[in-house]
Amino acid sequence: MSQIVKSPTDFLSNVIGQPVIVKLNSGVEYHGTLACLDGYMNIALENTEEYVNGSLKNRFGDCFIRGNNVQYISAAKQR
Amino acid sequence: MADPAPTTGASDTRDTAEPLDLVRLSLDERVYVKMRGDRELKGRLHAYDQHMNMVLGEAEEFVTVVDVNEDTYEEVVRIVKKEHEMLFVRGDGVILISPPTRA
Repeated sequence: MSQIVKSPTDFLSNVIGQPVIVKLNSGVEYHGTLACLDGYMNIALENTEEYVNGSLKNRFGDCFIRGNNVQYISAAKQR
Repeated sequence: MADPAPTTGASDTRDTAEPLDLVRLSLDERVYVKMRGDRELKGRLHAYDQHMNMVLGEAEEFVTVVDVNEDTYEEVVRIVKKEHEMLFVRGDGVILISPPTRA
């Protein structure tokens, strides 16, 4: 992640297509590739793994996450 | 020398340009929906809108209930299943929508 980040939006456009960790307010984490997102922070992830309390609970090929549930989007290390 | 074009967010058009496209592509498919309150739904997606209000046909609702044994304080997790012929889901309870895995 060597691109210049000037604003949160720059960060988000830099991580599109990259592996990310999305954490929800409930504490559940989704690890996957960020396909796209919109102004509500609705997120589409690919090859998603759902982690509850640190353990893998579910896998989704594609998934849509409603933006209101998002706590953060973290640029994950290359998997 | 051409000026570098101002970047306007996602410029490369991928298979899904915005997250809602994923939901649109799932219309008439059996989708998995994770809801607030430890509820999960599976059903055929008949319709949705920008709030993620949805109409699901032949829907199955799975409610995860945790019972605590009064004596041993043991937690017993059980899943209660309900079936609905047609279900309207209010969007604000939706956490996640996943289309069936395409083989």
